[in-house]
Amino acid sequence: MSGPRRVLLEHAAEHDVTKLSEYEKVGGYESLRRALGMERQQLIDEFLASGIRGRGGAGFPMGRKASFLPKPEQTPKPIYLAVNADESEPGTFKDREIIFSNPHALVEGVVIASYAIGAKGAFIYIRGEYFTEYEILVAALEEARDRGLVGSNILGSGFSLTIVVHRGAGAYICGEETALLESLEGKRGQPRSKPPFPAIAGLYASPTLINNVETIATLPTILRLGGEEYGKLGVENSAGTRVFSLSGNVVNGGNYELELGTPLRTLIEDLGGGVADGRKLKAVIPGGSSVPVLTPDQIDTPLDFDSIAKAGSMLGSGAVIVIDDRCCMVQLALRVAQFYQHESCGKCTPCREGTRWMVQILRKIESGEASQNELDLLLNVCDRILGKCLCPLGDAAAMPVASYVAKFREEFQRHIDEGGCPFGGESSLEGILSPVDQHHQHVRARIDVPLPLADPTVAGRVAAS
Amino acid sequence: MSAPELVTVTVDGREIQVPKGTGMVETALSAGIEIPVFCYEPRIGPPLGACRMCLCEVEGMPKLQAACTLTAQDGMVVKTAAESPMAKDGQEAVLEFILLNHPLDCPDCDKGGECPLQDLTFRYGPGTTRMRFPKRTFDKPIPISPLIALDRERCILCYRCTRFSEGVAEDGQLVAKNRGAQSIITTFEDEPYRAHFSGNVTELCPVGALTSTAYRFKARPWEIQSVPSVCGLCPVGCNTWVTTREGKVVRILSRNHPEVDEGWICDKGRFAYGHLRSEDRIAKLLRRVRRRGFEEVGLGDAVADAEAGLRQAGDSVVVAFAGTETLEVADAISRIVRGTLGSDLALLPEEPIAALDAWRAPLSALRSMQVCLVLGDEPVVERAPGVDLWLRAARRAGAAIITVNPAGSVQVPPGSAAQIAAALASGQVSGDLVEVDRVLREASRVAIVWSEDDPSGGAHAAALASALGLGEGSAVYWLPRTPNGKGIADAWRAAGDGRPTQAPPAEGEIGALIVGGDAATADPRVLALAERARFVVTSAMFMSEVASWSHLLLPGAAPLERDGTVVNLEGRPQRQHRAVQGPGIDELVFWSELAGRFGIAVSPWPTFEGVGEQAALPARAAAATVQAPAPSPPADVPADGFALLTYRAAFSGREVDHTPALDFQRPLAEVELAHADASRLGLAPGDAVVVSSNGTSRELAVRVNRRLLGGVARIAADHAAGLGAQVEIARKA
Amino acid sequence: MAEVVDLYDQIQEIADRYPVRRSAVIPALQLAQKTYGWLPPHAFRQVADALELTPAYCQSVASFYDMFHLEPVGKCLIEICTNVSCALVGAQQVLEAFQDELGIHAGETTDDGEFTLRTIECAGGCGWGTVVAVDHRYRERVGAGDVRGIVRELKGLPPEDEDEIEEEAQ
Ligand SMILES: Cc1cc2nc3c(=O)[nH]c(=O)nc-3n(C[C@H](O)[C@H](O)[C@H](O)COP(=O)(O)O)c2cc1C
Ligand code: SF4
Ligand code: FES
Repeated sequence: MSGPRRVLLEHAAEHDVTKLSEYEKVGGYESLRRALGMERQQLIDEFLASGIRGRGGAGFPMGRKASFLPKPEQTPKPIYLAVNADESEPGTFKDREIIFSNPHALVEGVVIASYAIGAKGAFIYIRGEYFTEYEILVAALEEARDRGLVGSNILGSGFSLTIVVHRGAGAYICGEETALLESLEGKRGQPRSKPPFPAIAGLYASPTLINNVETIATLPTILRLGGEEYGKLGVENSAGTRVFSLSGNVVNGGNYELELGTPLRTLIEDLGGGVADGRKLKAVIPGGSSVPVLTPDQIDTPLDFDSIAKAGSMLGSGAVIVIDDRCCMVQLALRVAQFYQHESCGKCTPCREGTRWMVQILRKIESGEASQNELDLLLNVCDRILGKCLCPLGDAAAMPVASYVAKFREEFQRHIDEGGCPFGGESSLEGILSPVDQHHQHVRARIDVPLPLADPTVAGRVAAS
Repeated sequence: MSAPELVTVTVDGREIQVPKGTGMVETALSAGIEIPVFCYEPRIGPPLGACRMCLCEVEGMPKLQAACTLTAQDGMVVKTAAESPMAKDGQEAVLEFILLNHPLDCPDCDKGGECPLQDLTFRYGPGTTRMRFPKRTFDKPIPISPLIALDRERCILCYRCTRFSEGVAEDGQLVAKNRGAQSIITTFEDEPYRAHFSGNVTELCPVGALTSTAYRFKARPWEIQSVPSVCGLCPVGCNTWVTTREGKVVRILSRNHPEVDEGWICDKGRFAYGHLRSEDRIAKLLRRVRRRGFEEVGLGDAVADAEAGLRQAGDSVVVAFAGTETLEVADAISRIVRGTLGSDLALLPEEPIAALDAWRAPLSALRSMQVCLVLGDEPVVERAPGVDLWLRAARRAGAAIITVNPAGSVQVPPGSAAQIAAALASGQVSGDLVEVDRVLREASRVAIVWSEDDPSGGAHAAALASALGLGEGSAVYWLPRTPNGKGIADAWRAAGDGRPTQAPPAEGEIGALIVGGDAATADPRVLALAERARFVVTSAMFMSEVASWSHLLLPGAAPLERDGTVVNLEGRPQRQHRAVQGPGIDELVFWSELAGRFGIAVSPWPTFEGVGEQAALPARAAAATVQAPAPSPPADVPADGFALLTYRAAFSGREVDHTPALDFQRPLAEVELAHADASRLGLAPGDAVVVSSNGTSRELAVRVNRRLLGGVARIAADHAAGLGAQVEIARKA
Repeated sequence: MAEVVDLYDQIQEIADRYPVRRSAVIPALQLAQKTYGWLPPHAFRQVADALELTPAYCQSVASFYDMFHLEPVGKCLIEICTNVSCALVGAQQVLEAFQDELGIHAGETTDDGEFTLRTIECAGGCGWGTVVAVDHRYRERVGAGDVRGIVRELKGLPPEDEDEIEEEAQ
């Protein structure tokens, strides 16, 4: 059986579990009490048994990752936990909701995970834009501290843990685990080349476990149900539930916690109320803007790692973006490419130069001025980015764009043949202004792209008055 | 340490044996296989893996790997672009991306002809670009300092320069700004890149983005010669390549000596060659006719004059060495004066003590130290710039760097070094020194660095070293003030067969005075002697009061204009080669002629026996016990007013005075004050104050130094002339 | 320009939270930006001094992140998400409405220095687009029709209707 099954956001709907008292009424922090009575290894075994895979994007089994770290007695260095709350993959807003409506689940999960790996310090890296959520999280943390659930000698167990909530400052790339560590160390958030992996040399060159908010916030549930039981939720290779972020041209956008394996249709039609304004479904992005697009004929694909992979895409961050027939796919490609150009960290050549080039070519195609071989060039540039970058961001730009061309080639073709957008200005993305076009980033460069609106020399400055 | 285990790696089908962990680029190279790189430069830290030029296929890995980030593991099978179509495709992709926004202006780019990007493009590059859009453009070359121009259009963002600035020199001034394709290399608010080692980035830059303004458009690679030499401007003796064109020095580059400089040179060594061509140099052999009037003389007459003057003086000849003379010149002078004339009168620039040779070690040994104890009030970077880089490398490698001075990690009053050394030697310590003492005694690899002028410093350093029982793996680096003072002292000692050096008489007439170079002419004691000497022979590049007192003036040669041996602070004899002709006669020729007149055979050219182009360090001497004199008490920090602390800036002296391009590197007219003192006086950074003592006063800007000991005012010597040991400071009215 | 406030001690407090003080760079810059509204050169000097870094380093870090202002911005910062999900449901029309109401382009600041308008990448409210962040407080499901009211509210003007009555009276 699969369908809505809330274990993580179960109570958030009925009670205000942001309050510690309420959270405890529904069994909050009992998992922590149990955990503190267990051996570290027993805990990690529970995680392994649950089969939970990372909810941040890569989908790596959480228990395995935790067991890669040296045990405290094996290393002279301190061990750290870093929670990835940088949630910035377009379409994704689940971590925000988890923190907003169930912050103690995260706090409890952090303490459990830290105890399991023997961490003395944990850092929650929350994206800077989530200001309200930051306040909620800090408040929850304070409450927990006052009750001895966090801090020194937690619940008399002798285990101590300091948790620092660290605000980011606006950079998607800092969601990439090694960039996150760099940023947390007070540097520009540029990814590191691996190896060494964070489990061996992460934060401050010490062993570090990095997990997504949802992954960590699920740990109390796993202990409550028991790893085995939790593992029975979902389907093979995709245990448990996930919070899916539904957005785009759909009636009821929002977050829906579903058992993995639930058909995409259930999410979009039954829960999401179907495509808005009675329009026709044109495409679905199943895992955040960095994954290949699916077409309406694939709407019955079950939402689990393997099925989505078989369908030629990825579950990614669990962000499902519904696209109706008013959207020009060339404009979509342009907008997605613009995002990744804007967010490219600038460290490695193929990503830095390639994403910029993609945008230039796509803009030309969109404007109808491109020649046939520039469409082939676009695909070739995607191909020249794929698999050559320091981190997956370059691929994140190349993969979706390549998939749009593959699945909607005639639409790209028409731009070339008809010398313009076949939607004739009626596309839902018509004229959308992306930050790359707007921010002049304080460079005295002559920006070679036409600026639809803003003049780069005045952008951001207070006009003389 | 046991030899690292050997592993076998296969690159392009060739089996290669290297120590485990060897970088893949080096591994391949050892079999003659080149893996092209841009961002990879082991000297500036761990591999970045940014440019992706080195992509290779590795068996068992689905994706291409950046070879520069791989290390040799047993059984590894690697295919470079030469063998793997996948890697070739990757390399072509990367090169196309790199060239995407790179201007094709090689013909008028200074890097043209010696540019890695140009070479690799010729060898692997796409003939044509498929880029149909305007390239990213920036304002044409901007100066990031009077010495360095930055052409951002050419920058390929390999981050070599910024990694050097942050991770080697640690000046933190040259940085990357913005993100993604908008990233640029820049300084803070376009302020000049003002740091001791800035020039190295022009050598690190693999394209023509960072170039030396002095060299811009000066020469094309095929018009130039390169002469190997050794920098003669400080006691480190960094190895250099001197680029000349039509008999002029147009550029100085590093010549990596792994034990001495690792391929880094400071801006003084790199750019001060400008002084060679200043108009006011003494260009001819001159003889004084009437008082303060000179006429040119030939070598023969000059030698005759000198012989006469010295013979008359007999054993009343004083030698004032400058510390810049070559070993050969110093040896000739010493043998004439001590050997035949039998005079032991001299002013030596340094008094190194032989016992220190028991702890001799290459500078590179610093990197493997556990503790580096730096004693003395003169900042190491000002006294011997290269040593500062080694200390930073040591810290990054995990060594504890303990600096004991008024602005150090352990703060002490000015002039405390000798006392601290004595205290640590005796083990009778208190306060912060207790911890220092513990750390020193627990460590097995300790370096002592002595950085100030105190003549007893060598003895104290040696005494401390033996008290701590420092042995193999430990070292003492006593930093001389002058480039060759150590070698000169040895030459002088050798010629005196055992007799001690005599100090010149305090008054009365002197038979003759020999002044060895400009540094000596600047010494007031030398002027006093000159005034009392019947005969003065001076070698100098520039006119001075002492020079004008001389009866015979030899046109001094800069290190770049002479052949000779210099001994650096390690005690390593190194070769200086004449890169260009000086204006005058060769000093060594003069002295060997003169020596001949006294029946001493001195070769007119250096033989460089046992000194290679990449000179080795002589073995350690046997340990000797040293008696250090009782330390003189430190300056007392006054209750009201301030104790003055001065230092000689690296960017000062004749060479810098005569190189306008280096003006901006000179110390600013500032007085450093402790934060507490500044706030007590209500002074903010930049405020103008008057610093005064016994009649003299100077107007300086306030610089707040949170590390400086309270009650101390630190001022660069250039701005402290005339000020006494204690000064008053008041806001400028 | 706002006069310099001494942030040294506050920055030390922040730094003490971290095993390595450099980690305090971003929080310290956030503090400075809160203090000055943006990051003027002296802000970088202060942060650098407090953390024993260089101003160049601090500026290098700041310039990497979108939320740091290297140039002055208005008292009120209005940011509109124009990423895919919001764009699909009319972010462009919302942006245009704001431009009309404020009389400036995205990326600009009103002459009186009150408002800065700019577009941002995905704000993480995709299910309830269009997301508009006013000084980092999200407003969701914003339609072009809501913009006028929002701007009036931010200007401290009474809601539309009363206003209209006055207009009719004239
Ligand atoms: C460009 C990029 C952006 C990413 N952004 C996020 C993010 O915002 N949040 C997140 O949890 N993981 C993100 N990830 C994945 C992380 O690198 C990492 O795999 C994840 O945080 C590990 O946690 P998990 O195993 O619990 O998923 C991103 C990865 C890449 C390459
Ligand atoms: S300026 Fe030169 S060294 Fe610096 S990043 Fe650019 S290409 Fe590399
Ligand atoms: S040389 Fe390997 S990535 Fe630059």
